[in-house]
Amino acid sequence: METTNAPGPSKSGKDGEEKEENPLFECNICLDTAKDAVVSMCGHLFCWPCLHQWLETRPTRQLCPVCKAAIGKDKVIPLYGRGSNQQEDPRNKVPPRPAGQRSEPETNSGFPGFGFGDGGFHMSFGIGAFPFGFITSTFNPHDQRPSQAARGLPNEDEFISKMFLYVAITFIIWLLLA
Amino acid sequence: MALRFSKSKHNTKVILDGERWERRLQKELMSLIKEPPPGVVVDSDQGENLSLWTIKMRGAEGTLYEGENFTLQFKFSPKYPFDSPEVTFIGPNIPVHPHVYSNGHICLSILTDDWSPALSVQTVCLSIVSMLSSCKEKKRPPDNSFYVKTCNKNPKKTKWWYHDDTV
Repeated sequence: METTNAPGPSKSGKDGEEKEENPLFECNICLDTAKDAVVSMCGHLFCWPCLHQWLETRPTRQLCPVCKAAIGKDKVIPLYGRGSNQQEDPRNKVPPRPAGQRSEPETNSGFPGFGFGDGGFHMSFGIGAFPFGFITSTFNPHDQRPSQAARGLPNEDEFISKMFLYVAITFIIWLLLA
Repeated sequence: MALRFSKSKHNTKVILDGERWERRLQKELMSLIKEPPPGVVVDSDQGENLSLWTIKMRGAEGTLYEGENFTLQFKFSPKYPFDSPEVTFIGPNIPVHPHVYSNGHICLSILTDDWSPALSVQTVCLSIVSMLSSCKEKKRPPDNSFYVKTCNKNPKKTKWWYHDDTV
């Protein structure tokens, strides 16, 4: 870019000057001014491409090159100086590591206390007169409830659940009072 | 998994352009000339080949190696600084030290397992000076003759066993 530079002895005239001014901001790996800079939790500065390459070199033993503290993609902070024209996370530029994916656990809208929600195992019981009791003591090992909409009665289950909750509460109160 | 591996390899190649490798070595050479560790002298003219350096080292005063002169050779692979340099003593005088074999190979963990790209020629030289300086008795490693007969020319091919950190 700068053509005013004298034909300096070093290949990278402009870069060279910059570096001499700020050795503090040199990457600990390439020894150049850190580009796409990240800083580790232990405070050591690197170019993200340099650090990334080091992490790939020893994927099972990811240590800070300077102080051997634990280090990793999630344990560095990108640095955005004023001069950087785009505030893009440098870690996204060298992206061979796909981001982990996690899905939210399904929330159970029935009796939260009664279901063994996360195991795919659902059990409910009710107390009440015979026909109701018969219905509620169902017990479904794989409660995906996929056919609610297909049944055409989307709220039926919930309605029955609520109803039996009330029945149960009434029954318990009656027991206590009696 | 396999796909991911090959992809990262490709990326490594892209990052590892020769220019940066050269630039780092050039910077190291400059700083070694400017502030060499005690007793270390490096020729500013390392010839055309930046990947092979010869460094002169003098035994520190007050140590068993006082007055002796040694020559160290550094070989850098294109993967430097992610890969450690190959460092050996060369020439007629190989220091007699429990971690230095008579063929010049050095048993020093930072040259293989404990290498880090934040280390440099300067710090490696300093480590070797300090390794020599802390020596209490001049002797070869116990398995010297066997090792020298059987080892690879490249000390990095040796499966070193680092068990003695007293010297």
